[in-house]
Amino acid sequence: MAAGRKSLWRQLTWPWSPDSEREASEAVVRNLWLHWFPAKVSIRSLSWGYSFWLGTVAASLFVILTVTGVMLMFFYVPSVERAYGSVKDLQYAVSFGRILRNQHRWAAEGMVALAFIHMARVFFTAAYRGSRALNWLVGVVLLLGTLMLSFTGYLLPWDQLAYWAITVGTNIASQAPVLGPTIHYLLLGGHFVGQQTLLRFYVLHVFFLPALVWILFAYHMWRVRKDGGLAGLEPVRAMRRAEPKEMPRTKSYSLFGLTPGTSVAVMSSMGLEERDQVMSSPNLTRRMILVFLIVFNVTLVLALLFNAPLEGPANPSVTPNPAKAPWYFVWLQELVASTTIHIGSLTISGGLLGGIVVPGVLLAALVAWPFLDRSPEAAQGVWFARSRARQNLVFALITLAIIVLIVVGLYLRGPYWRLYWPWTARPVMPRVL
Amino acid sequence: MEERQQDSLERQDFAWLVIMSLLFFALVAAALWSEYATAWRPFQTRFKRDLAQAGRLEDARKFHSGIKQIWNPELGLVDRCVTCHLSYEWGGILPASLPQPLTPHPALPFMQHHPFERFGCTTCHAGQGWATTARGAHLGGAGWEEPMLSKRLAASCGVGEDELIQMRCNFCHRRDSSTQGMDDINLAKKLFKKKKCIICHTVEGQGGHTAPDLTFEGDKNPELFDFSHVSGPKTAFNWHVQHLIDAGKVSPGTAMPDFHFPPEQARALALLILSWRRIDYPPQYIPAPVAPPAAQPVSSSQPSPFH
Amino acid sequence: MDSDRRKVLRWLGKGSVFAAFVAQIGAAARAFFPNVLYEPPTTFKLKPPNIYPQGYTFDAEHRLFVIRAAAKFHVISAVCTHLGCTVQWRGTEFDCPCHGSRFDPNGNVIAGPAPRPLPWFEVSVSPDGLLEVDSLSTVPEGSVLTVPTEKT
Repeated sequence: MAAGRKSLWRQLTWPWSPDSEREASEAVVRNLWLHWFPAKVSIRSLSWGYSFWLGTVAASLFVILTVTGVMLMFFYVPSVERAYGSVKDLQYAVSFGRILRNQHRWAAEGMVALAFIHMARVFFTAAYRGSRALNWLVGVVLLLGTLMLSFTGYLLPWDQLAYWAITVGTNIASQAPVLGPTIHYLLLGGHFVGQQTLLRFYVLHVFFLPALVWILFAYHMWRVRKDGGLAGLEPVRAMRRAEPKEMPRTKSYSLFGLTPGTSVAVMSSMGLEERDQVMSSPNLTRRMILVFLIVFNVTLVLALLFNAPLEGPANPSVTPNPAKAPWYFVWLQELVASTTIHIGSLTISGGLLGGIVVPGVLLAALVAWPFLDRSPEAAQGVWFARSRARQNLVFALITLAIIVLIVVGLYLRGPYWRLYWPWTARPVMPRVL
Repeated sequence: MEERQQDSLERQDFAWLVIMSLLFFALVAAALWSEYATAWRPFQTRFKRDLAQAGRLEDARKFHSGIKQIWNPELGLVDRCVTCHLSYEWGGILPASLPQPLTPHPALPFMQHHPFERFGCTTCHAGQGWATTARGAHLGGAGWEEPMLSKRLAASCGVGEDELIQMRCNFCHRRDSSTQGMDDINLAKKLFKKKKCIICHTVEGQGGHTAPDLTFEGDKNPELFDFSHVSGPKTAFNWHVQHLIDAGKVSPGTAMPDFHFPPEQARALALLILSWRRIDYPPQYIPAPVAPPAAQPVSSSQPSPFH
Repeated sequence: MDSDRRKVLRWLGKGSVFAAFVAQIGAAARAFFPNVLYEPPTTFKLKPPNIYPQGYTFDAEHRLFVIRAAAKFHVISAVCTHLGCTVQWRGTEFDCPCHGSRFDPNGNVIAGPAPRPLPWFEVSVSPDGLLEVDSLSTVPEGSVLTVPTEKT
C-alpha cells in the first residue's frame, strides 16, 4: 500500500476504515487493537438474532466497570472509619461522583444479569459441544467471578446492608463441612466482620477478581476463535458440506491469485464460503462499537435517573429488619431460609443445604452438562432444537424457579422475613421520633 | 455478493450508529448539566445578590460559588448545610426576614459558647450533614436514622422545634442539674428527681435495680418496644410518653406506677430519656458539671414555672 | 557416571526450586490467618447481678440476653444459630429479622431455618462481684446461676 502518500492521521486510522477490499484484509494483522479479530467474519455471527451479542454486552459492561472502578478507587478509602464517609462524598460532594458510582453499580448489576443471560443463550443453542465445552467451563468460572465481584463490591460502602450481607454470606461459608470455620476465619481475617474483612474484600474486589476476569475473558475470546467461531456457524457449515460442489478446477480466489487447484478461499478451513463472510474491519468493529455505545448509553441513563442504594452506616448491634441480600443473591437467601430439614434427631441447617449444597449441585450440573448432553450434532447452534426440548425445559424451569424465589424475596418478604402479599398491609417499623 | 452484504450491513447499522452517537453526546451533556444545575446554585446566586444589596459589595465579590462545608474532625462532623443556608452567620447584616434557605441564624444566647465552626448545624438540628440536596439533608433518605428536627417532625410529636433540639443539647449536658435555655429538659430533670425515678431505675451507675437501666435508653432500637398497647405513631418517643402517662396500660403487669403525668410533662420526660445516648465527643466538649448548689433546693414540690 | 550425576543434580535443582516455591506459597497463605485479633475477648464481665431487672435484658454490646428470675440468672446468646443475625426478644419469643427463625423463651427453635437452639452461655460471678460470661462455653438448657445473697 502507498503509505507514504497518506497523512499521518490516515496512517494511524486506515485499519479502522479501510478504503479497499485489500486494505480491509490487511487491517486486522496491521493493527494491534484489531489483531485479535479474524480477518473475515461470518455474516451469521454478526446477526443480531442468533447471539443477541450478549457476550459483547457483558464485556462492554466489564469495560465500563473497570474504568469507573479505577476512577472510584481515587476517592474511596477502605477503612471502617472512612469508607462510609467517602461513599457519601462520592454521592454528594465529588464532581460527577454520583454518576460515577451509579454507573458502576448499575453496570455491575447488569453484568450479573447479562453474564447469566449469555449463558442461557449458549445453553439454549447447545453452543458448548465438542471442543467448545472448555470455553463453557471458562464461562462458568467467569460467571462465578462476576458474582464474587458483586459480592465483594457490596461490602465496600460499609453501610448496614453491606455489613449484614457479609455477615450472612460468610456465615454460609462457615457451614461448609470440615473446612467451614477455617474458610470463615480466612475470609473475615478474624471472627467478626471488621477492618481486616474490609481490606481483604477490597483487595479482592479491585485487583484479584478483576485480574482473573480480564485474563479469563481474553482466553474466552481466544477460544471462540480457536473453536471455529460461534456455534451458530455449525448449521451453515453443515449446509455447505451437503451442497454439491461444482468448483472450477482452475480458477482461484486466493489473495495473490497463485494457488493452483481448488482455492483455499473457496473451501477455507472455516468450512464457510466467500458468500458467508465479510471483512472484520469495518463490519465487525462497527457493530461492536455500536453495541458498546448502546450499553454505555443505557448505563448512563440509569446512572442519571436512579441513585445507587446506600443505607445507614454499619451498626453491628442492630440488624436491619428485614435484612435483604441484593436481588441476584436473594434467591439464595430464600433458599437458606427455607431448607433446614430435620431427619430424626439430625438437623441439617439451611445454611448448608440452601447455601452450599443446592448452589453446589447447580454448579456441578453446569460443569458437567456439556459432557452429559447426548443430543444429535444437528442441535448445535440452533435455538431451541427439538431434540433438546427436554434439557431446555429443565434449564428453563430452574431459571424460572430462581426468578420466582427472587421475586418472593424482593417483594413479598417483610419484617422478620414473614410473607406479605402485595395487597396486605405491612407493619410500620417503629422509629425513634 | 460480498460487496452487497457489506453494504447491507453498513446500511443496517449506520442509522443506529448515528442515533447512538447523538444520544451518547446528549447524555454526556445531560451529565454535565446535572452537575452544574444543582439545587444549591440558585441560592448561592441569590445570596451574592443579597450581600450586594446589603452594601457588602466586597464580600459579594469575594464569594465563590461551590459546595461549602463546616468540618470538625473532633466530632466527626461534616456539615454541608451551609451550601444553601449561606447567611447562617450574617444575622447582623442580612435581614432576618430573608426566606429560607437564606434566613440568617438567630443570635441565640448560647451561640457564643457553641460557635458554628466547631458545632456546625447537625449537632443541634440533626439531619444528614453529608448531603447537598434538600431531601437528603432534611429527610436523610433510606436508612439514615437522624432526620432533621424540623417543625413538622416536632409537630408530629406534639412539641415545639426548640424542645426537640433541647433533647440534643442534653447529649452533652446530661450531667447539668439545670441548663440555661433548656427549659423542658430542666423540667424533666426536676420531675425525674421529684418522682424519685432512681429508686427503681439506674442512670449512670446510680439508682435502684428493680427497673431497667436507663443510662443509654436513647440508643435502644425502637423495634424492641412493644407497641401493642400504644395508640398513635409507632415511635420510641410516643411509647415513652404513653408509658409515662399510664405505664400499666402500655406494659401490663409492670411494676412501674401510673404517674399520670400531664402530657406536656410526659413529653419533656420522654425527650430527657431519649437524650440519654452514647456519644463519642472528646472530653473538652462535655461541659463541666455546674457546681451543685450548697443547699439543694431541688425536689421541693414547687410547681413547675414552665407550661 | 557423569550423566548420572548430572541427572541427580538436575533433579535436586528442580526439586529444590519446586519445594521452595511450594513453601513460599504456604508461607504467604499462612499470613492470611492472623495471629492477633483486634476483637473483644470471649470471656467478659457484665454488670453486677443485682443490677439486672426481672425478665429479659438485651445486651447489645455483647449480643446476648441476661434473664433473671428472682435470684436465678441465665444468659442466652442473641446470635441466631442459622446465619448470625441478632435476634430480638418480642415478649413471648425471640424473632430473627434475617430469615425468620423463631425461638421460644428458652431459646428452642419454634419455626424457621435455625438448626439449633440459641445457646446458653456459662455464667458465673467474678471475684469482684460481676456476672461473668464465657461465650465459648455453653451449658445445657435449664442451668441457672443462683446468686444467693440477692435482695431486691
